[in-house]
Amino acid sequence: MTTGIELRDLRKRYEGHGSAGSWAVDGVDMQIGRGQFVTLLGPSGCGKTTTLRMIAGFEVPTSGQILRDGVDITDQPVTDREMRMVFQDFALFPNMTVAENVAFGLKTRRMKGRFGAAEVRRRVGEYLDLVHLGTHADKRPHQLSGGQKQRVSLARALITDPDVVLFDEPLGSLDAHLRKVMQIELIRLHRELNKTFIYVTHDQDEAMAMSDAIAVMNGGKVQQFGTPREIYDRPTSRYVAGFIGHAHIVEATVAESGASGLSVRLGNGEVVRLDAPADLQRGEAVGLMLRAEDLSLAKPGEGELHGQVSDSLYRGEYVEYVVDLKGGAGTVHVHEPTHAAPFAHGADVALKVNPAKAHVVGGA
Amino acid sequence: MLLWLLPPVAWFSVFILVPYAMLFWYSLGHTEDMHFVPGFSLANFARVFTDEPYLGVILKSARIGLTTAILSAIVAWPLAFVIAFHTRSASVKFALYLLVIVPWWASYLVKAYAWKTILGTNGILNATLQGLGFTDEPVRLFLYNEFSVVLTLTYIFTPFAVLSIYAQLERIPTSLIEAAKNLGAGGWEIFWRIVLPISVPGIIAGGIITFSLAFGDFVAPVLVGGSDSVMISNIVINLLGVAFDWPMAAAIGLVIITLGLGLISLTGWLEEKTKVRL
Repeated sequence: MTTGIELRDLRKRYEGHGSAGSWAVDGVDMQIGRGQFVTLLGPSGCGKTTTLRMIAGFEVPTSGQILRDGVDITDQPVTDREMRMVFQDFALFPNMTVAENVAFGLKTRRMKGRFGAAEVRRRVGEYLDLVHLGTHADKRPHQLSGGQKQRVSLARALITDPDVVLFDEPLGSLDAHLRKVMQIELIRLHRELNKTFIYVTHDQDEAMAMSDAIAVMNGGKVQQFGTPREIYDRPTSRYVAGFIGHAHIVEATVAESGASGLSVRLGNGEVVRLDAPADLQRGEAVGLMLRAEDLSLAKPGEGELHGQVSDSLYRGEYVEYVVDLKGGAGTVHVHEPTHAAPFAHGADVALKVNPAKAHVVGGA
Repeated sequence: MLLWLLPPVAWFSVFILVPYAMLFWYSLGHTEDMHFVPGFSLANFARVFTDEPYLGVILKSARIGLTTAILSAIVAWPLAFVIAFHTRSASVKFALYLLVIVPWWASYLVKAYAWKTILGTNGILNATLQGLGFTDEPVRLFLYNEFSVVLTLTYIFTPFAVLSIYAQLERIPTSLIEAAKNLGAGGWEIFWRIVLPISVPGIIAGGIITFSLAFGDFVAPVLVGGSDSVMISNIVINLLGVAFDWPMAAAIGLVIITLGLGLISLTGWLEEKTKVRL
């Protein structure tokens, strides 16, 4: 038996206007261990929210199974699941005070008798303190800022001590600064409370910063499920490589492949060496993933690739150069420290590739 | 410069200020041989509260208005709820909404008259009951009493309650209901603790409209009401058209307007108190 949440070939089809409808979720298999912070990441319409809503019980899967600690909960009503959800629009009850909102989950009929009035009051105080809202208990939701509303919604979700907490783009309606603050807050809560967090977002920075594991989704399918480091450094598909970070993919063919490493040849004949061995055939077409921070510029002749600077952008933390590779082999971006000697627009340059970080993704 | 203000000012003066001033002027006079004699007496106002049947009829009209408002709300709430929450397709939603409004394309008189043909001794209801063998004699209790007046008024004014409750329910985001379910609340709990409280301002707004319309109605009592179900507007019409006692009619009118304003301030305050910001 596995503890945690397991999704088995989960599918959901919405009957659309056409006869066929379309698969919002198209065969998702996933194991989420107890206490993990797992993020479903992808663009809108990729199926991440539908997957989360099926876990919560708001949507009925067309087929497939949801297991919790080995028990099939696919048909369990939402009211019985005791997984709490934090909504993007906060979903605070406007007719109740902050304290009443937070107490709601303790005062439902199914909880009757479990918590006395004094215990409810004590817990509400405790959880409001946990989210730093101790002094706002008697306010109404409309008197709070967006960040405060989301904290109330968090306290309301956590107060019944669920082992699984679901987040549906909870920071989506907050401004950039507040998002950063709340990210740190969520990581702290996850560390302190030791609960399973399943988190949906389209923001890759948010996903990278907070998660133990990320499932990158597209077209109703999980494209890759792994740690943030795996997803970033070793994407398994062009889609994931393009979606995460500032990766540029240059078409290449395998020149040499063995246990010691891998060489690929670009369209212009230049060759790049990679440290990581790969099970690829000589002559196979691949995409060479080059991230801006894994490249550096040098004088012509001092690097394995050559090209011409077509643009440079001062970004404050670094200077971003756009370089057209020789022979029209592709375009890459390069981040250079701001204190380095600048390269002029139109200058011929060489590029050094960090062989430990360069990576190939299969398929043409 | 301020020429654009002329139409509203003219409209306001001619149709609001002047009529009120005239009403007030008439209420202070009296009649001699059915002719108006100007004066400065508050005697007519005193008569509203002392002479039969004025105060009693005002109170009865208020009772009929209140009953109508309550019954309308009871009928309207579930209907508005179904339109707002249990109608997935937008076209069905629009169709239901339209069906609620459509009766307003028919004349009030026709609708009130229709109840006569339903409730009367030779009416549809009695024919059905007799046909099914529930009764041998036609039941006379259905028509020409306060019951039939309230029934007709409720039928006619319920759409106003539906629309104002619907407008309030429509604003409740689905995520609120989902959040409540997610926190373990059952259907009744969601109704009592979330949906109903949030809908209260809509119930009050609909109540003000249905109460005011029913309170001032004079058609239903004439068509389907009995000899004892006269309402205050019928008395005013009689004072104007039969007794030619315009001063008395004006005094009753002003008392009713004052009561109405008081009621609107009270409910307005209640509405503000129960208002939730979604």
